Amino acid sequence: MGTEKREAHHYTTYAYNAEIKEKRPYPPCRAACPVNTDVQGYVGLIAQGRYEDAFELIHAVNPIASTCSLICHHPCEQECRRNDVDEPLAIRHLKRFALEQATEYRRKKRKPIPQTKEESIAIIGSGPAGLTAANDLAELGYKVTVFERHPTLGGMLSSAIPPYRLSREALQEDIDDVLAKGIEARTNCQIGKDLTLNDLTEEYDAVLIAVGLSLSRSLPIPGVDAPDVLLAIPFLNDVAYGKQPKVGEKVLVIGGGNVAIDVARSARRLGCEHVEMVCLESAEEMPAWSWEVEEAAEEAIEVHHRWGPQAIRVNDGKVEGLEVVKVKSVFDEDGRFSPVFYDDQTSFIPADTIIITIGQMSDLSFLEGTPVEVDERGRLIWDRDTQMSSADGIFTTGEVITGPGSAIAAAANGHRAAKAIDLYLRGEDIKLGLVAEEKETILAFPEELVQKLSKQSREKIVHLAPKIRTSNFDLFEVGYEEQAALMEARRCRTCGGGAIVNAAQCAACLTCLRICPYDAPLVTSKAQMIPEICQVCGLCAAECPGLAINMVSYDAGEFREHMSDIIGDVDPERDAPILVAFRCNHNAGVNGDQLPDNVRPVHMHCVSRLDVLDLLKAFECGADGAYVMICDEENGKYKNVPSRVKKRIEYVRQLISNIGLESERLSYFEAGTHPDEVWRQAARKMTEKVKALGKD
Amino acid sequence: MIVADQKPINEILGMLERYDKVLFVGCQTCVAVCMAGGEKETGVLASLVRLARQKAGQPIEIDEAAIQRQCEEEFIEPLEADGYQAILSLGCGVGVNKLADHFGIPVLPGLNTGFMGHIEEHGVWAETCAGCGDCVLHRTGGICPVVRCAKSLMNGPCGGYTDDGLCESGTGAPCAWIAIYKRLKELGLLESMTETSPPKDWSKDRFSGPRTRVREDVRL
Amino acid sequence: MKLTELIDSGKFVVTGEVGPPKGTDLSDLVKEAKTLMPAVDAINVTDMQSATMYLGSLATCHIFKENDLEPVYQLTCRDRNRIALQSDLLSAVTLGIENVLILTGDHPLMGDHPQAKPVYDVDSVQLLEIASHLGEGEDMVGNELNGKLDLCLGAVVRPIAEPLEPQIIKLEKKVKAGARFIQTQGVFDASHFEKFMNAIQHIDVPILVGIILLKSDRMARFMNKNVAGVEVPEPLVEEMANAKSKAKTSVQIAGRLINEMKDMCQGVHIMSLGWEKRVPEVLAAAGLYELPKKKKKKKVE
Repeated sequence: MGTEKREAHHYTTYAYNAEIKEKRPYPPCRAACPVNTDVQGYVGLIAQGRYEDAFELIHAVNPIASTCSLICHHPCEQECRRNDVDEPLAIRHLKRFALEQATEYRRKKRKPIPQTKEESIAIIGSGPAGLTAANDLAELGYKVTVFERHPTLGGMLSSAIPPYRLSREALQEDIDDVLAKGIEARTNCQIGKDLTLNDLTEEYDAVLIAVGLSLSRSLPIPGVDAPDVLLAIPFLNDVAYGKQPKVGEKVLVIGGGNVAIDVARSARRLGCEHVEMVCLESAEEMPAWSWEVEEAAEEAIEVHHRWGPQAIRVNDGKVEGLEVVKVKSVFDEDGRFSPVFYDDQTSFIPADTIIITIGQMSDLSFLEGTPVEVDERGRLIWDRDTQMSSADGIFTTGEVITGPGSAIAAAANGHRAAKAIDLYLRGEDIKLGLVAEEKETILAFPEELVQKLSKQSREKIVHLAPKIRTSNFDLFEVGYEEQAALMEARRCRTCGGGAIVNAAQCAACLTCLRICPYDAPLVTSKAQMIPEICQVCGLCAAECPGLAINMVSYDAGEFREHMSDIIGDVDPERDAPILVAFRCNHNAGVNGDQLPDNVRPVHMHCVSRLDVLDLLKAFECGADGAYVMICDEENGKYKNVPSRVKKRIEYVRQLISNIGLESERLSYFEAGTHPDEVWRQAARKMTEKVKALGKD
Repeated sequence: MIVADQKPINEILGMLERYDKVLFVGCQTCVAVCMAGGEKETGVLASLVRLARQKAGQPIEIDEAAIQRQCEEEFIEPLEADGYQAILSLGCGVGVNKLADHFGIPVLPGLNTGFMGHIEEHGVWAETCAGCGDCVLHRTGGICPVVRCAKSLMNGPCGGYTDDGLCESGTGAPCAWIAIYKRLKELGLLESMTETSPPKDWSKDRFSGPRTRVREDVRL
Repeated sequence: MKLTELIDSGKFVVTGEVGPPKGTDLSDLVKEAKTLMPAVDAINVTDMQSATMYLGSLATCHIFKENDLEPVYQLTCRDRNRIALQSDLLSAVTLGIENVLILTGDHPLMGDHPQAKPVYDVDSVQLLEIASHLGEGEDMVGNELNGKLDLCLGAVVRPIAEPLEPQIIKLEKKVKAGARFIQTQGVFDASHFEKFMNAIQHIDVPILVGIILLKSDRMARFMNKNVAGVEVPEPLVEEMANAKSKAKTSVQIAGRLINEMKDMCQGVHIMSLGWEKRVPEVLAAAGLYELPKKKKKKKVE
């Protein structure tokens, strides 16, 4: 995408530089993401208020982006290098903000993809994996039909994830994007019942099994057959489809995973005030995400740790509670699940409804009588190198083969399956085509660097009060306001988006080495930038006498290249002087500057990148004046910036005064603590000052 | 490296007065490192000249190029100068000479070439070798009296150094001979200062016409 | 007469100093020199002092000779290459000049033609060697000379310097190269001079201590700030500041300084900087000269 003019008189840029980024080590956030979302890229776009561009970048690799923006377990945040500085960036929440801002935009751009290929593909299941594969294959020009046994698309996202976590509106946006590509969706169609797999293999050139894990596991203990003993998936199905499953006054959920939390919190929202959970694991061992456990605790859900279910006490057909036995250990020495109990320590947890949430498995009954084989334990046999089942042309993807995981991991596998099918249909070597390049990941901040980085607290994510949120199934989390989102986005350290050296231009002059406040450059015969250390301030690029340095996350030359566009046509009869105003995103405030028409604002992530050439170019392209808003050393994101930029401004002032232009035409303003106010006043002051000097 | 400085802009504007289509050529070696004539400075100067000419109502068309080293024929070769009335070189004087030899159009110097030197601190360059053709550094603790002493004295300081050890000339330069004295003392080689240096053979310096160096064995 | 002959005879040698004018009229200078001459043994004629263009030293020395004034021909390395320097030395001999003081010369940047190309083809040590070699009957590249050259060569030293050792090393070299007398930069503190004289005990050469006539406290402060090697102690500056008659006090100070230092050295070199007529009073104050009895005013005219 490169650079573009955002709206009249408002210029910001943030190049994707996708190609360069692919050749560089990934930042940890991107490496951690199963679909390798360019987090730094889209967060940077958000920081500039370019939400539609952010959407494009996110959506390019993730067809279930809105879903992920609400429910993703965000490994990106766990790996965020800001963890070592203060708190991780709120990446998921920023994604949500960007996608919500881009809703109208994405709806408008939906359009069918022309079918350019002869072959057709049937996909069984429309969960994250199936949906992603459908999306990719449609993009490639194949005819795609998705079969879904439920009345709605989305698999578990639609049929099991409770709406308080995933709003159906958000999910629908994702589904609509995919469907708009011209995919046929056949809902309420169960393979094995309404149609057979063999029907599909006859009609389609390839079939993809993406049926997920749709069956709940039960427990082999007495009492499980009682009517008030429920299984998680059917329970969640009912919740998802608004069937208001009946629960008693005291619900006990067996299990300690994320689904168990969903079940418990759903039960709270069905009106039950006493919801408890019981699990084998201690609080630390519990497989559910810690934040979900906390959110459940806020909703007064109590967890009984380290108790194993022994029997459900049933009296007269009514559940009275669960007999439990104390757990000695959950895992064996090798870390495998192998619970051991203190047989003599037992207890009883009273409950009138028990919901078993101890895991899922797939329903593969439809494979009977088909060439697709299953192993002795009933698991689908498949080839990891090709994603193909034992039957030629029948592929498989998602949790049916990977086991339980995250939606985004399933989507990642869906991408892979789509690629495998494309290779298959084109008659190419699937295994070879699927080999993924091992990506290098940039390492943590060195300890001494952390000391140099400015701290900035994470913008709080607001949840509805427990009392309010447990009274309905509405989304419990509140999205960022624009100001908060911008502040949060600007916390990103742009890892991996930093300086790169064009060796052909590098004279090994050592300027970068001397100028860098963080000691990122290493100069031997040529300069090299250590991506772990580079903070992307851009000081070096603006100082390099060989113009050898550019940045991964933006093009250091873009302002001067686009200065005529930024300034636009210059009316020789103009009354007000044309001014180019530079400032950083950090000080940019929310969109919609109230600036007079004669001012052309240019935003960048830090004015440290502002080059002597950029400033001169403004005058060359017809500006009557220019000014820069500069943070002070203490409040700035980067070190050594104000003094450096002021020196450059002073130098340009000298240069222009040498050719008879008044040096006052170029100025700077200290942002201070009220940058918006300074910005407004700067426009007024400079307009007056330059007007008095006359047209240049 | 060769250290140069950009000519005053008005001198450059004067040289370019009669032209309206000019090629500016930077050099990406010494003068890039000393921030006088690399690709960046070429861009800055071109921008400034265009701006000045616009302002004067006599716009000028300037294209910018930068080559690896203007002192090498092979690097100059790919440069196209067709259609330009003149070239402004931001190379050192060597580059200007080479470009002028190569192209059949006027080649103008954008820089004043200064000296061979080193970076004292970022943004400060200092002369440390005169290229006199007759090195005496082994006798002077590695500090060149030919160029670092304003009078090129060979036998010790004059009487003009200040208490801070600076040269009497007022340039702010340190007295080379005080530096030599201190260095030799540190090295335990002060006796080499007591030996009288005979008058220097300046015919090996630039005063006997252009110097050449030939190594027959490597000639093609 | 050669200064060395006087020194060898055991006389405490006294030299003065004048600077040729910017122009061609030497009459005033000759007049001043004549007031000076009775009190001194010889008068240095500067070679475009402070790197400022003046009438030449050589021509002035020649005119002095014609006026029975004994000149010390100052020759710097700044403006002439080795060819011109040797030639000028030959010229000097031809013109009957016997005393030559060899100096490096102030840098052109300090004078009125800072754009000038400095020469410094040879330095003062090398020029002393060259001049000595001319005395042996051949030029510096070994060509034979006709006629005889017998010059009394002198050089200068800065006795107060930090560090001092490089000055001493260079002085040794100058003496080795043929310097037969040494005139020093102006000294205002006898104890400093004593230290210097102790430091050069091993060098066998007559030293003429430099005395600068103070004209005012402002001048003293200016020199302290701007002239390398000149340090006027604060009490002397005060003395000048409080002086009713600057000239009288200046003479007293100079006389006192000479008195304090004359036993440490072999002579004195007085830099009067235009106050040539005060020099006899200074020397009288130092007990080195007896002022002629004042004649009646009428007779002067």
